[in-house]
This record gives sequence, structure tokens and C-alpha cells, in this order.
Amino acid sequence: MAFASVLHSEWLKVRTLRPLVAGLVLVVVVTAVFSALAGLDDSGDADFDPLFSAFFGVAFGQVAAVTFGAQAVSAEFRGGALRASLAAVPRRGRWFAAKAVAVGVPALAVGLLAGCASLAAGTAALGDRADGIGRAEGLCAVVACGVYLALMALLAAGLTALLRSGVATLGILVPFLLLVSFVVGDMSGNAADLLPDRAGQVALHGTRDGLLGPWSGLAVTAAWTAAALLAGTWSIRRRDA
Amino acid sequence: MTSIDVQDLTKEYGATRAVDRLTFRVEPGRVTGFLGPNGAGKSTTMRLVLGLDRPTSGSATLGGRAYVTLEEPLRHVGALLDAGAAHGSRTARDHLRVLAASNRLPGRRVDEVLEEVGLAPVARRRVRTYSLGMRQRLGIAAALLGDPRVVLLDEPSNGLDPEGIVWIRELLRRLAREGRTVLVSSHLMNETASFADHLVVLGRGRLLADMPMRDFIHARVEPSVRVRTTDGAVLRDLLARHGYDAVEREDRDDGGGDGDGSGGRWIVRHARVADIGRLVSGAGLPVLELAALDGTLEQAYLDLTAAETEFAARPASPSPIRPQEV
Repeated sequence: MAFASVLHSEWLKVRTLRPLVAGLVLVVVVTAVFSALAGLDDSGDADFDPLFSAFFGVAFGQVAAVTFGAQAVSAEFRGGALRASLAAVPRRGRWFAAKAVAVGVPALAVGLLAGCASLAAGTAALGDRADGIGRAEGLCAVVACGVYLALMALLAAGLTALLRSGVATLGILVPFLLLVSFVVGDMSGNAADLLPDRAGQVALHGTRDGLLGPWSGLAVTAAWTAAALLAGTWSIRRRDA
Repeated sequence: MTSIDVQDLTKEYGATRAVDRLTFRVEPGRVTGFLGPNGAGKSTTMRLVLGLDRPTSGSATLGGRAYVTLEEPLRHVGALLDAGAAHGSRTARDHLRVLAASNRLPGRRVDEVLEEVGLAPVARRRVRTYSLGMRQRLGIAAALLGDPRVVLLDEPSNGLDPEGIVWIRELLRRLAREGRTVLVSSHLMNETASFADHLVVLGRGRLLADMPMRDFIHARVEPSVRVRTTDGAVLRDLLARHGYDAVEREDRDDGGGDGDGSGGRWIVRHARVADIGRLVSGAGLPVLELAALDGTLEQAYLDLTAAETEFAARPASPSPIRPQEV
């Protein structure tokens, strides 16, 4: 069976579920709002980073992205939905690949949108203090923001397929993103730099002191995501539905 | 024609054997009732046929092909497994559109099946507002979406109202008349008896019976005759003289309102209504009631499972099961 028709079906699934559409909208709103709030905070920090301030909301927008990715897959694990899906598309690898594309592409689109909105809202709130952000630097960060949010949504999607539960996935990822990273946030130059969120967000900083550059950082996040998706694929293919 | 072939199928979950070396074939053009108590392996067998679970050994094929090798399987096989498969936040129409898209089925099929199962007026409502019966109808709509030659329904009458039960019965009969292969699981005997032509009976994952429903009942429940006359004592003597085994049954329903001075109803085992009728009228006894008692599927089924259950508590009297009075 054609991949295109399976993808069409999976895309329809995303489009026809209100919580998923709401989740995508939230990615943009949350990211922009928190970036604007960060810009209003004028505490005169010595190592003030205007670029990171303009993308500060990504730390919260990623929770919405992760929730979207987890929900898109967890919808299959309730009430025998997976059985109906796999009865329609018995080629499981192809089915999960279509699912990942139907999660990743919209997440990338809203991620880019969130990047634009975040940069606009963040710089507007920063006022004069945003002068340190170059045009090219800002554009790169917008692209990185979109890629990063898409990767996080896919990471959650893969993990949900492996754990067969959106609650379990969010129970791991949300505390991890909101707490663990903040706690180890100031300890740079060690293994913490290789955590998926820390590595991917290097691209959103104007001043960098770690080993990873913006694109190598995103590559590390992509590796985490690929691992999660492979584990999810393995689970979908091997286990009884 | 497309039949379902189950060959030496076995499925183990850890130490439990849910399906145990099962072999049977479901033929097209008739409704096959798939019977067994809860946990007998009916649903597991259906999942194995649909390639959703991996068999420990053995195989299940549809028209000679494994389900997972079918291109656009909904065009060949339709299945209802769980009434809860549709997401509550999606509308019934969208649920079917998603399924149709994956198998490149035309969009008009969605509206056709919604019409067919009677959900067209509520098709744009969210599934969470549906009753269990409506969800069941939606599941049946999904099974019919690709106009499949093979239909598998797991407990389709669950949650249906009386009209729904009549409707599903007519639907199953019609699908069989159209030459489709129809496998319907149930643990409700009277319900199954109303639509099945053929039976496949499971117990603890094993095949207990695979035969036409009539044969199944006749092989297990002896035919009897119910007769009532004005003089029970004379009737008893008459039947005894001719070697019939008759027992008197208390009347349950007339509340003594007959006022004809008769005894209760007599049940004559191993008898045909024509023989008893001739005998009684030949003896000049006024016949108040004379009826053939056909065995029910329920009796036949209980007889079978009692025989199969190794340590089943035996009834106080070891007599064979008699037809139920109706």
C-alpha cells in the first residue's frame, strides 16, 4: 500500500483531533508569551544574552511540543485504537513512519512560526537591549527553534510508542525538561551538555561556552530523537497490538 | 471465494495457552457463530487472524493469504474488535474518513456506511457523546467501509438496544446471502441461535465443535414432546405401556385458572409429536396441548461444556439435559 495514503490518513488524524490542534497552537503562543515576559525582565545581569532572552519561551513551548507528540501517539493506545489502525495498515513500520512524518512536519511548521513569533515578541519587549542580535544570527536561531521543537515532539512520539502511554512519557519528559535541566543548568562543560534539551538549545544562545556549536548541538538532539523513534518502531513492530 | 483458514494455531502468553492448536475453516455464504465462554480465546483468535497478535505457532490465512500481506486490507476484510476504538474527541465521520484514507477508499463510502448503520443524522457529533450501542454501530460501519468479502465481528450485539439486535441479525443474514464470509463471536446463546448457520465452539482455547448449528443442537439435546390431557394418570399409563419415558412438570404459568381438572404438562423424552398425537387420540384422551420441543442452542452448549470441563460440579441427577419448557 502506498505510503502517501497512509500519510494522508495519519495527517487527517492530527487535523481532526482538537487537543492536537490546540497543542500546536499552544507551542506558538506559549513560546512567544514567555519570550516577551523574559524581555521585560530588566535585572541587568552581567552575562546578559539578548538572543537567549528572545528565545527564552522555548523552554516552555517545548512542553507544548512534547505534549503534542505524546498525545498524537498515545491516542492510539486507548480503547483498542491501535488495533483498528493496524488492521487498516498492517505494515507497521510504514504506519509508524507515516505517524512520525504527520507529527514532525506540523511540529516543524509551528516550531518555525513559534521562532518567528518569539523573536518578534522578545525583541519588542527587550527594546534597545535587543540591538546585540544580528539579522543572520536571529534567522539561524528561528530555524534552530523550529528544528529543535520538531525534534522534541518526535522524541516524545517515539518514547510514547515505546512506553505505550502518553502519561508515562509526559511523566518522564516534563519534569526532566522543567526541573532537571534547570538544576544542572549552570554546570556546563560536562555530560549535561549532551542532554537532548541542553544540546539543542545551544543554538538559541548568543554566547556559547560549551563543546557544542549550534548545529552540532541540534545533531545531538537529533540522535536522541532517532534513538527514541527507533525504540518506538521496534515496540510497534514486535509487540502484539 | 474467500474463506478463513485457521491451521494448528497456538498462542501463548507466558505460561498461559490462550489458543491451543486450533484448526477450523470459516466458509463464505453463511454466518458462522464463534462461541465460547469469556476467556476461551475467541478474541485472541480474531486478533491472530488479523495479524495483530503474533501466533506462537500455526497460521491463519484469508483466501490463502496472511492478513499482513494484503494490499489495502479493508477492501478484503472488515473487522469489529473494540467498540472503543474510535477516539472520543473525533466525530464519527472523521473516524471513518481516517480509515478510508489509509486504504484509498472513496469518500462516499463513509456516508454510505453511516447511512447503512443508522448513524447518518449524528455523524458529525463527537464519539464521546455516543452510547455504547452507537459506538458499536460505528464499529460495524468501519468494518463494512471497504465492502469486504470477509467480515469478522467480535460481540457485535454488545450494548445494542432491542431494535439494534434485530438490525444486526438482519445485517448478518444479508451479508451471508451476498456470499460473504461472516464470523461473529458471542457468548450469548439465544442471540447466536438467531443468526448463525454454522458454529465454531471454543473452550479454553481448544476447538470443541465445528458443525452446522442444527446438527450441533440435535446431537446434544434429545427431541421431546410436551403433552397435556384431561387425565394425567391415564396418560402416564398409556405412555408407559408404549415404552415412553414421561415426567410430569408443574405448570408455571396458568395459575390454576384452567379449571379443567387436568394434571400438569407431561414431557415425553425421545419422542416425535406425530407418534404421541396418534397414540393419545387413539386412546380417546382429549388433548389440551401437544407441542414438539426443539432443543435450544443454550442447552446443547451447556451440555457440551459440562462434558468438557474435567472437574465440573455434576448436577444431583445424572440425567441428560432435557429440552426446556417454553
